Amino acid sequence: MKFFAYVDPGLGALIWQSAVAGVVGFLFYLKKSRRWIVNTFRKMLGRGPKPSVSAAKVAAAEKAEAESHAR
Amino acid sequence: MRPPAPSFRDPAGGCCSLDGRVLRFVAADALPEFEAFLQTRCAREFTARRQFVSARRLEEAEIAALRASPELPPQFKAQPAGAVFEHERIPFAGYPPEWPPEMLWAAGRLTLELARTALAEGFGLKDATPHNILFRGSEPVFVDALSFERRNPADPIWLPEAQFVRTFLLPLLAHRRWGLSLADVFTTRRDGLEPEEVYRFCGPLEKFQPRMLSLVSIPTWLSRKTSPDDRKIYRPQLLADPEKARFILESLFQRRARALDALQPAAQRNSVWSDYMATHSYDDPAFAAKENFVAEVLREFRPARVLDAGANTGHFSALAAQAGAAVVAVDLDAACVGALWRRAREQKLNLLPLVVNLARPSPALGWRNGECPSFLDRAGGAFDGVLMLALIHHLLVTERIPLDEILRLAYEVTRSLLVIELVEPQDAMFRRLTRGRESLHAALDTNMFEQACAPYFEIVRSLALPGTRRRMYCLKRKGGAR
Repeated sequence: MKFFAYVDPGLGALIWQSAVAGVVGFLFYLKKSRRWIVNTFRKMLGRGPKPSVSAAKVAAAEKAEAESHAR
Repeated sequence: MRPPAPSFRDPAGGCCSLDGRVLRFVAADALPEFEAFLQTRCAREFTARRQFVSARRLEEAEIAALRASPELPPQFKAQPAGAVFEHERIPFAGYPPEWPPEMLWAAGRLTLELARTALAEGFGLKDATPHNILFRGSEPVFVDALSFERRNPADPIWLPEAQFVRTFLLPLLAHRRWGLSLADVFTTRRDGLEPEEVYRFCGPLEKFQPRMLSLVSIPTWLSRKTSPDDRKIYRPQLLADPEKARFILESLFQRRARALDALQPAAQRNSVWSDYMATHSYDDPAFAAKENFVAEVLREFRPARVLDAGANTGHFSALAAQAGAAVVAVDLDAACVGALWRRAREQKLNLLPLVVNLARPSPALGWRNGECPSFLDRAGGAFDGVLMLALIHHLLVTERIPLDEILRLAYEVTRSLLVIELVEPQDAMFRRLTRGRESLHAALDTNMFEQACAPYFEIVRSLALPGTRRRMYCLKRKGGAR
């Protein structure tokens, strides 16, 4: 894949973005662990796994688009 | 009307204007991704909402006809394997140095919205500059359609983040803190403000305020501590989990949207001229007579495109827009123009407000002065009607522009109509501006004014505003409409 990004990525700003990305990446695992725990309990209670927020958003957008095409 | 020079920075292609058409050349190796992006839900939805410029791929026969044109820029001819797309034309280009901060904020919102939406479909925004955006009336439109490329799903870094900070967040921050205008920033800098530049403005305690720390101080300290030759910094930091990379980017866009909203200009900004409509020197009958005069002219001649020069808070610009014209309203006061942009947006008026001082209009900018044509190059012959209301005395007295020059400028800008208000030297506002120099303008009266108009315009009608030393004129350009 050829990339055409040509803007100046900065120096300090890029390092800072990478550092914050590391912290946010840790939060991602916390969030993922929480979801795993919630889903494990849901399974134990006989309910299905909870869909992720982004998956729910995509599903809602797809439903809205399908409805607009139907109209 | 002079179009901008062909664009050249993006290796994936360029844009040019030819015979009134906006054409985009896309290089062969960028073409599959560009076409794939145009098919995404993101591109289709934003195009349907008129926030993303429409694009149509030209047929081979159309491209062959273009290649025969001697006006076609060489880069379009150099790569025969690429494709050419035609974009819709935005009626009047207003550039970032001419925007009030409100418009930069709206352009930033659209940029982030597009970046977030494209991310969900596997595309990344590869540059984040206000130059990607033009305004159709008061609404931002993303016009640099080639700014999207398929992203590496494992990459958690948004390379244009620093550019977004430089060109959106730091100019808004500098405006909010120190009143720096966007013209101050963008007339001399294409790529906005560097954190290091803003850092120098900050007081010792200011550097530690949360927003300054994140946008200015920490990037400045880090760049001082790092060798610019360290190549490791620019190596892609790919993650094993694409979901994690996307989570990090979504979080970045959310943080940048919050920072942008925190820097949104206040709705009630005061300036020298922002209270003009409440404090002007007309009484009610005189103002009503002026309003009726303008409304009748708009009804009778129905100009499709109107320039309101010296629009102030845009009372008459709105009148023209409500009468069906596409209006460009210019004023030197950024607070007035910002308020007018809010009003145009709320009332959905076809009105583009710009910060332009008619006595020192925006110069041509960019490489060889070709990337952003000057305001007068864009405005010349671009309007069916020009309004110059309560403006002439400012140009005559404050700017010392001769009357003949003012009328000649109006003649060059309008294709047909000029509605102008003569303010005589005995008028209270005129006297306030002269500051003891009344004798310089003693000869100005209706006779002298009408004689000065004669080489350029025919008088269609005029009306003395009751109880004032002002007269409204409706003039038609001599030599017929062009």
